[in-house]
Amino acid sequence: MATKGAPVNDPMIDPITGEYVVVAPGHTFKSVTETISRIVLTPHTPLGWYAGFALAGGVATVLLVAVLYLFLTGVGIWGITIPIAWGFAIINFVWWIGIGHAGTLISAILLLFKQGWRNSINRFAEAMTIFAVVCAGMFPLIHVGRPWLGYWLFPYPNTMNVWPQFRSPLLWDVFAVSTYATISVVFWYIGMIPDLGTLRDRSKSKFGQFIYGMFAMGWRGSVRHWVRYETASLLLAGLATPLVLSVHTVISFDFAVALLPGWHTTIFPPYFVAGAVYSGFAMVITLAVPIRKFYHLEDLITLRHLDNMAKVMLTTGLIVAYGYAMEVFMAYCYSASHWEYFMMWNRMFGPMGWAYWVLITCNIALPQFMWFRYVRTSIPLMFLMSLIVNTGMWFERFVIVVTSLYRDYLPSSWGTYRATTWDYATFVGTLGLFTFLFFLFVRFLPMIPMSEIRMMLPQAKVQPESGNVVEAGH
Amino acid sequence: MANGHHAKTLPAELNAPAFVAGWRMKALAVGAAFSVIAIILGFLSGDGWNHFLRAWLVGLMLCFGFAVGGMALLMVQYLSGGKWGLLVRRPLEAMSRTLPVAFVYFLPIGFFMKKLYLWAQYPDGKAAYSQHLINAEQAHAIIFKKGILNPTTFWATSIVCFLIWAGFGFLLNSWSLKRDADTEPNVPYWQKKFENISGIGVVTYSILLTACAILWVMSLDPTWYSTVYGLQFLVGQGYAVLALVILTLIGLSNAEPIRTIFRVTEQHDLGKLCFAFTMLNMYLAFASFLIIWSGNSPEEIPWYLDRIRGGWGVIATLDVIFHWLIPFSLLLSRDLKRIKGRLVVVCCIMLFARLWDTFWLVEPNFADARRNLHFSVGILEYIAVPAAMIAFWMAYYFTQLTTRPLVATNDPHVAEILEPEHAHA
Repeated sequence: MATKGAPVNDPMIDPITGEYVVVAPGHTFKSVTETISRIVLTPHTPLGWYAGFALAGGVATVLLVAVLYLFLTGVGIWGITIPIAWGFAIINFVWWIGIGHAGTLISAILLLFKQGWRNSINRFAEAMTIFAVVCAGMFPLIHVGRPWLGYWLFPYPNTMNVWPQFRSPLLWDVFAVSTYATISVVFWYIGMIPDLGTLRDRSKSKFGQFIYGMFAMGWRGSVRHWVRYETASLLLAGLATPLVLSVHTVISFDFAVALLPGWHTTIFPPYFVAGAVYSGFAMVITLAVPIRKFYHLEDLITLRHLDNMAKVMLTTGLIVAYGYAMEVFMAYCYSASHWEYFMMWNRMFGPMGWAYWVLITCNIALPQFMWFRYVRTSIPLMFLMSLIVNTGMWFERFVIVVTSLYRDYLPSSWGTYRATTWDYATFVGTLGLFTFLFFLFVRFLPMIPMSEIRMMLPQAKVQPESGNVVEAGH
Repeated sequence: MANGHHAKTLPAELNAPAFVAGWRMKALAVGAAFSVIAIILGFLSGDGWNHFLRAWLVGLMLCFGFAVGGMALLMVQYLSGGKWGLLVRRPLEAMSRTLPVAFVYFLPIGFFMKKLYLWAQYPDGKAAYSQHLINAEQAHAIIFKKGILNPTTFWATSIVCFLIWAGFGFLLNSWSLKRDADTEPNVPYWQKKFENISGIGVVTYSILLTACAILWVMSLDPTWYSTVYGLQFLVGQGYAVLALVILTLIGLSNAEPIRTIFRVTEQHDLGKLCFAFTMLNMYLAFASFLIIWSGNSPEEIPWYLDRIRGGWGVIATLDVIFHWLIPFSLLLSRDLKRIKGRLVVVCCIMLFARLWDTFWLVEPNFADARRNLHFSVGILEYIAVPAAMIAFWMAYYFTQLTTRPLVATNDPHVAEILEPEHAHA
């Protein structure tokens, strides 16, 4: 409980509100620009970066091998069988897509809601979204068996009379995910233009000036540029906001429109969206904690960010818990359906019941510690929590996919599921690919938006008494 | 709009303006008039007051939504922070203090539950089925759900819910006054205190509201269930409460103190929040419909067919138009959200949409109306009874508005809200 304590002397705590500050005091426009741009423009790449990059690249190579073998042999190398025709591929697809959601939420929804604290983390959260979508998008493609015919999913005039089934949510996925990927990339890039202009101007190398200059598209920081930039950002935020809901909703339809107990439930759309944001924020923390330490960004990614992200995780985690609870309540107490009843019993206490309890522990039980501010502002504990939640969210998809399929209506068709080495290799490989891309991003692009952080400094505020306006955009 | 360069000062008089008493009198007069009409219709309908009770349930859900939903939004603003929270705090507190009215409205539903709920009318499902009073699906559902759908659970759950909400309402309201009376700012202390209770309170609210939505409304058709039903009510309450709170603020902005603190920026923010709830509301409704429609299973689809066929399609279509199409189309406009007169129109449509939607949820549960929308004297009760109930609720709400200052003063947002609007980068 709250107590009336002594005055706070910690400079990282706002004396009026008692909250942690979003940006540490003492920063100027110059110091912010230098702190962020030197990570990119330094000619001395840290050894630790090389080590991480090589490790991530090595793990990504596993993916290459796994996919090559898959193409040569076919999906029989995976553990999928009848009745579990969907296995790791769909689990990983949903998990990765979910992770991407935090980036869109931070960049779009929190922008519309004027949440200033988003500014330090939005850039790398958006990058995370794009890399997660890359990993996610690969799975349905390699799962179709003949990925070279993937373009059949699109409605195009052809002489074969092949036309997509528009009533299938799997087709909706194609449009939802491709739209999501497109908007995410455009949003990410547009948001980066002022910073690319800064990097162009500060780069010492000709090559850097050329590359950053080309992508800065002639940014000069004029008032007209800023007005257009702000308008474009708001419009893209407006476009991206429905995507936060729509993408994972469509993915939930992949399951929910089927008449399978455990899949066919109306709570799926909101609870999938909440779950996506939940895991996405967990991944942002997983990435933010080592990055702020390694690059000494503690002044810009503060405990306020950690605290707020933990609060978002707690909220979305509780929505997810509500979804689980409603499923259990309806199945056991209110559905009056033996199928639903059996599905839930089997999910909890059947041969794969352990997976359900892993997910309950990771997604519901342990995250309740985030009610305590001490946990929310403890870096090691939050890092641990982020890993726990991401594990739990992966298991959630495992439980939904596998435990609903392996014992369906007809006992004679029951089976079981065992993932193969190739399943694991593909999944681990995508973790490598994701990390590999992220290493490239932090090295060559500004991972924290300099222009937006500068606008948050006290110097950037209008001074009402004198009427002077301090320019923040340079 | 005129923009001064200097910060404004908070008016000395923070109590509700005198015209609120006039609003209360008008509300009482409307309530009395519609009560008379409702009673006359009850006698004329000749249906044993069935429609009166059904309409009463509609009125209950709306007033209960304002009281409990207001309390929930009050807790949400403590958790989310933001200047909009300071503006809406006192109106929301006033809504939360109307819980006793909601409880009084609930009592007739409890006392006359046999007229509304099949499970209360036929507690022995097997016997009722053998006498052909109910069909096999209904009998199966009543037997299976007997542990939940019985008068004892209904009463016990409802009373526990009201008691818990009353506890939260009491603490939130009394602490708010204590906070203002605190001679030192102690912002972190009070912020923590309110955050702590609100965090637990919102979670509790979600669970209790789901229980009430299932027991009071969903169980009107005991054969049907939907896991998203409680969440739909939760979002619906947010939708209605926001509309009402905006109407309240715009009404009060004709005089001090709200005239000074209700800036266009925050009005715009509240409009945006309305837009978000409009989308969220339709999102849940459409997703639920799509899943059940695609599944087309005999256990689920009749619920929608009951509400689409036999003339109900018109009501359903208008529900979408009132609930989503009109507010969505209008709230897209930035100007509209910033012009008081226009925002008032949208908020009125939103409140009407809640009434319309609740009618669509309730009436087709009954055998005489299922897939058979037809005119009867009794159906007019859906206008008269909720109108009377809402009017009396409003009168009580206006009374509560006058009992404490309209602005919470011990809050760091007060200084921010008094700044000139253009001062925010």
